[in-house]
Amino acid sequence: MRAFRFYLTLYRTAVLSRAEYRADFFVGVLTAVLMQLAALSFYWVVFSRTTTLGGWPAHAVLLLFALTAMSLSLSELLFNGIWQLPYYIVGGEFDRMLIYPVRSLVFILLSRPELHSIGNFVSGAAIAAFSFHLAPPPDVTYALLPVWVLCGSLVYTAMLVLLGGLSFSIVGPFVNHYFLAFQLLNASRYPAHIYPRWFRGVLLFVFPVAVPIFLPARFVLGETGWLAAVGLPVAAAVASVLVAVWFWERAVTRYQSTGS
Amino acid sequence: MSAALRAPPTFTQALRGFVSLADKTARARVAYRAAILVSLCTSALGYVVFFLVWRELYASGTASALMPQADLFSYLVVAFVLNFALSLQVEGRFGQRLRQGLIAADLLRPLGFLSFQLAQALGDLAMNLVFAVPVYAVGFFFLGPGVLPPSATALSCGVVSVGLALLVNFAISYLLVQVSFVTQTLYGVYFARAALHQAFSGVAAPLAMFPGALATWAHAMPFRHVIETPARILLGQARHSEIPGLLFGQAAWALGLLALSSAIFNAVLKRHQIQGG
Repeated sequence: MRAFRFYLTLYRTAVLSRAEYRADFFVGVLTAVLMQLAALSFYWVVFSRTTTLGGWPAHAVLLLFALTAMSLSLSELLFNGIWQLPYYIVGGEFDRMLIYPVRSLVFILLSRPELHSIGNFVSGAAIAAFSFHLAPPPDVTYALLPVWVLCGSLVYTAMLVLLGGLSFSIVGPFVNHYFLAFQLLNASRYPAHIYPRWFRGVLLFVFPVAVPIFLPARFVLGETGWLAAVGLPVAAAVASVLVAVWFWERAVTRYQSTGS
Repeated sequence: MSAALRAPPTFTQALRGFVSLADKTARARVAYRAAILVSLCTSALGYVVFFLVWRELYASGTASALMPQADLFSYLVVAFVLNFALSLQVEGRFGQRLRQGLIAADLLRPLGFLSFQLAQALGDLAMNLVFAVPVYAVGFFFLGPGVLPPSATALSCGVVSVGLALLVNFAISYLLVQVSFVTQTLYGVYFARAALHQAFSGVAAPLAMFPGALATWAHAMPFRHVIETPARILLGQARHSEIPGLLFGQAAWALGLLALSSAIFNAVLKRHQIQGG
């Protein structure tokens, strides 16, 4: 309970700190919306030429876009601090995080929320609303949507943690390797079955970021039952988090302070 | 300060300084070769999605009416190579100089602030090309001579167009970084440019494939001159009669944006404060 209060205070302080840069906040939110619109521009190009993609209608692909945007948003809002890890290591600041009487992973995840994620969330919600307007889904979808978004966010964050753990071995002030997770998440915007088997395997089994996005869309299309649409995303999220925590605990032992 | 230091450099001195700075920037980036390589791989992964979506569309027979699949895939390879080669670090460098107050020192350099930034952008291009050329070779391996310029005219005009594309891309970045004088950080600016670039440069498809409204907006903006224009010219997909107009369009956008951003920069500097230490 004491640790929870600590995390809450840490997160609240971090949010207030980020909110200081108001102009950057507004530009950031606008930019996040622009990024989603930019991704939708390719969707527009594609669906100006066809009515289905891999047999899926436009509204189902829109739902993939929506879930991707909202999963990204929640991860950025709650767990974005992992992007700072390489800089903490290079600057020796990670020492400080190891001496707090709480888990270093949770500390670092909560230490730097990105408020522009609101732009991603609003975009994702608007796209989902439009998708549901085009083809009303089963009623239970509205109740399951937060579960899918949470699962998507956890799987994506777990991937970032796995990649972040590499920063203890490959020391340098760069985050380029994190974009692997970002690109895999973005690949979930299109139906997984249009991809070749190897790529589908990566998205559904190796880094199962597509599971909480692709399966819900299949459920909305009536291609799978609600048990699979809920059970598999939750299972993917739990497994990803467990693997990420396990990997982190081992990776952190490789940390060598800069000594400065 | 001696008279020799105060005197503006001659053209030859300035050119030598420009080339030297570009060379040093490229060499400095060698230190980050692992990061560049990872960046190339993640960009390629993102690009694979475009390929696979188009492959699906061609397989279903819904895209072939506009452009043969081989032509589109050749275009995508060249667009990817150009996109990576022209990934400049203008925002990152500018943001760092702004945060640390180093702009004050940069303004004293005899080369001039704009030339200083442009020389470094040229260094970025040189280093990126080292990594992008093997990707081009892989594209050639899979797609054959379709990815090569079909004639000497296409090659020579294409090279000129790539040079102008560098200027246009640099000018867009240089204009947008002026916002950082207000926002103090460059996250928003960087991703705003990236979003507009992704939507309107033709990086995922030539503008001929765009739906009406999107094509109209793309034609009204400079982003297409960074990717689509040089890619089409290099691949011989632009008609000969089109090429002078396209090159003129690139040059006009580059000069216009550079003039505008320089005017804004000079105006901002009059009220910008750097804390002394």
